[in-house]
Amino acid sequence: MAVLNITYQGHSADYDLDIDYAASDADIRRIAVEVIRSGGVRGLHVAQLADNAFANYVVDRLRSPQGEQRIYLRPKVPFGAAR
Amino acid sequence: MRIAFCGVGALGSNAVLYCRNLETELRLIDFDRVESKNLAAQWFVKQSVGKNKAEAVRLQLANFYGRKAEALVQRMGALNAAQLLDGCDLAVDCFDNQDSRLVLSQAARDRSLPLVHAALAADGSFGLVRWDERFAPDREDEAGQATCEGGEHLPVIGLLAAVLARTIQDFVARGDRRDYMVGLSGVVAT
Repeated sequence: MAVLNITYQGHSADYDLDIDYAASDADIRRIAVEVIRSGGVRGLHVAQLADNAFANYVVDRLRSPQGEQRIYLRPKVPFGAAR
Repeated sequence: MRIAFCGVGALGSNAVLYCRNLETELRLIDFDRVESKNLAAQWFVKQSVGKNKAEAVRLQLANFYGRKAEALVQRMGALNAAQLLDGCDLAVDCFDNQDSRLVLSQAARDRSLPLVHAALAADGSFGLVRWDERFAPDREDEAGQATCEGGEHLPVIGLLAAVLARTIQDFVARGDRRDYMVGLSGVVAT
């Protein structure tokens, strides 16, 4: 059991990722598209979300201090300065 | 304690502004110059245009707040990173590209120097504050990719800079190393 946190258009929400296998980054992106389309993520319901909506996103796998596995699907963050 | 701000553009200049009350020494590192378009989202004033960014922030801190800081006008690279960080107890990454972030990370790890990163998405909707042990820099989609030329991301830049400053403050006070995500729906500790 892991928690998947998805950030899309500046908004983030958690989704309980109830799977019993080690999901690849591609799996995470595909699952995220499906659960957002279905309305399964509170506050992030986009029925017509494109298949490739997260193609350029980053998957971070972290463990909370309590030992919980947390997976973050987020936009790339290359910038610290505005040119 | 001495803190090195590596890059004082949008995030760096605003974070320094919010760190001005810390009872620490501040070192500002940047090779770039202030352009008029930078005034839209970076903590610079019209009189700063044409000056080096590190020197401009140093002057503004001194003139507006009587706050001293040290400005180093150099581009950080593998050959000079150790020298630029010498004598520092904390490094703050506000660079705008993966290559510079990697150089800084390596130099900090070589010296066991605590390093915190701040980074912003190109569309200004999301940012991260994350300590080096849990950070991998993202590459820009194309070299020199522009963001926020019109200042439209300034509110999120300000929010992210404030969260970064608070993260630094907590480290200085108690040695805390907390990570945060910053989005349009709020700030989340991760």
